[in-house]
Amino acid sequence: MEVERVADAELLLAVAEGDRPALAELYRRHAPWLTLRLQRRCTDPDVVDQVVQDTFLAVWRRPDSYRGSGEVAAWLWGIAVRRLIDAFRRRGARRRLPLFVATSSPSAEELVLLGVEHGDLAGALRRLSPELRAVIQAVVLDGLDHREAGRLLGVPATTVKSRLFRARAQLREELT
Amino acid sequence: MTVSLHEVSQRFGQTTALNRVSFDVKPGVTGLLGPNGAGKTTLLRLVATVLGADSGELRLLGRDPRDGVERTAIRRRLGYMPQEPGFHRGFTAFEFVDYVAILKEWTDRRARHVEVRRVLERVGLGDVASRKIKALSGGMRRRVALAQALLGDAELLVLDEPTAGLDPEQRLRFRELLSTNAGDQTVLLSTHQTEDVAALCGHVIVLDAGAVRFAGTPAELTALAAGRVWLATERSAGARLAWRTGDGHHRCIGDAPPNAELATPTLEDGYLLLLGDKALAVAA
Amino acid sequence: MIAWHADPGLLHRYATGDVDPSLAASLEAHVQACARCRADIAGCVDDARLALGLDGLLAAIDAPRPGPVESLLRRAGVPEHQARLLAATPSLRLSWLLAIAVALAFAVGTARLARDPSTGVDLFLVVAPLLPLAGVAAAYGPGVDPTYDIGVAAPMHGWRLLLLRSTAVLSSTTFLAGAATLLLPPAGWAVAAWLLPSLALTLGSLALSTVLSPLRSAGAVAAGWLAVVITAFSEQATTALLGPWPQGVAAVVVIAATGVLAVRRAAFDTRGIR
Repeated sequence: MEVERVADAELLLAVAEGDRPALAELYRRHAPWLTLRLQRRCTDPDVVDQVVQDTFLAVWRRPDSYRGSGEVAAWLWGIAVRRLIDAFRRRGARRRLPLFVATSSPSAEELVLLGVEHGDLAGALRRLSPELRAVIQAVVLDGLDHREAGRLLGVPATTVKSRLFRARAQLREELT
Repeated sequence: MTVSLHEVSQRFGQTTALNRVSFDVKPGVTGLLGPNGAGKTTLLRLVATVLGADSGELRLLGRDPRDGVERTAIRRRLGYMPQEPGFHRGFTAFEFVDYVAILKEWTDRRARHVEVRRVLERVGLGDVASRKIKALSGGMRRRVALAQALLGDAELLVLDEPTAGLDPEQRLRFRELLSTNAGDQTVLLSTHQTEDVAALCGHVIVLDAGAVRFAGTPAELTALAAGRVWLATERSAGARLAWRTGDGHHRCIGDAPPNAELATPTLEDGYLLLLGDKALAVAA
Repeated sequence: MIAWHADPGLLHRYATGDVDPSLAASLEAHVQACARCRADIAGCVDDARLALGLDGLLAAIDAPRPGPVESLLRRAGVPEHQARLLAATPSLRLSWLLAIAVALAFAVGTARLARDPSTGVDLFLVVAPLLPLAGVAAAYGPGVDPTYDIGVAAPMHGWRLLLLRSTAVLSSTTFLAGAATLLLPPAGWAVAAWLLPSLALTLGSLALSTVLSPLRSAGAVAAGWLAVVITAFSEQATTALLGPWPQGVAAVVVIAATGVLAVRRAAFDTRGIR
């Protein structure tokens, strides 16, 4: 398990100069977690693979659209999720995975871990309805705006806005 | 016998570029040596089916290039690298080799791209495939030109001065590339450099003024100069050719000068002895 | 920075979809920010799948990106490999087509601004057939194609490449000239009088290039055309060119040139000693 020796930002600089091995290294570091994260939003692995490829193609062609602030990983996810939205628009909504389908109940261990990461928020989030939770995930965690979140979830932007309002109200009520 | 020429002549207007040339080329690497204007490019163009011979018999890969159908069949198993390869403006290395691949009848895009990447990796240009050719160095451009000749694992490779203008390191890389080919491939390359021939070729043909002056192994060409090469402190009158070496001695080919010691002949000595002053004018 | 790291077993369960959604969200946020956990999670994705993905990415990077003309051709239904061959044609570049458009615009402008409209149209009728001639001369041959020798040594027949490129150039130039014709001052059917001569000149030049070099052929044909026009049609080229004789001759030339090309097409298969 080696940790990255050359920083991601340096690799990006090399990519900007047409350095193919640098792009390959970025791919090795980031394609796995991007693939897994995309897979939780889209059931079709071919679409996921295509989106990952499109993401790194975008990195190759426009490396200077990374403004140098924040983590490269965050920037990559931003590209990837927007490519996924594009893919949904082109291919239709059938392969959208409903978010937050619980497959097992958490163990005590996991609840403690959640406590470290999110405090009470985790429990409160779980008590939201799936639609409200999906909106929180898309806007707060994935960093999408209302329109993009709407495209990802297959609802109008106004619906996103109202659900976000209700979710926040519910969380505020629970946590204060 | 991959290539067979018999009494082949070629004229351009008043000049005779090739005068009743006859030789055979077997699988392996064969070098074509000769001074400028000897007719090497014309000869290689004939072998590459780019030109049609005025007279004489020519058989390539067992077929007659004068017949249209046979000519196309030959071309399917041939790779040609011209003397000064030209490239389309604005093409990347990949695009250029891809273009030639289409001319070589690779119509399926997927298979073609796999093959283009294969030959580019072969010549060590895998990482710069998407760079524009005008942004590549001279040595790299040569390698792009070589890559297109390698498409489809050609049975007959015709290379016109592939190492001209390259620095010693690039030339070494080229030799390595050419020597790692399959056993039954035939490579015919022309060069000014006797070191290329000595390092690479199992067979050598010396061409001068449109005529074959020698055809045999490098060892045989070297042997022509056996007992005729001397190291002396001064130039001798009886020497056919002589020049000063870096350490102050004179290397003479011909009769023994006074107080001279016998030197071990090199391929270059044999070549120079064969061609006389004309060859020396080029080597200088 | 969070010093907490995810247990690899937990990451594995995340990878198989076997974790609580909130925990998954939490993990995702963490992995995005932690290089070590990203490295750990890499083991949860199939190696072969990643290798294939990288291969596909590198192939996509290298693949040629079509220019504007090529994309247009593809959308018009031209097969990909033919469109690629056309992309290398000097006279199908955007810059060339723009130059043709400018030349046509100039001719049209002169026609409209001239005091006597028929003189302007005369000029147009003389110039229009020369444009596809120039285009075809610049499409193929040792003078204009830097990869000519390699192309000759390749199995694809020279005449096929010539046919492909000439058709594309002729079509595009004729289309542009046709559009320009619509802008000319009205002169009846005379404005279309250039169509057959333009075809005749182009095919004639191609037929001649089985003997001479393409550039010399084009030059000879252009000179011939200008000579004919100047001597035979000193006045009113407009009406004269539309007459049965000139059009008839042009038609005969088209048929004869096509015949010559069909019979002598093997001449394009080797480099002629010209």
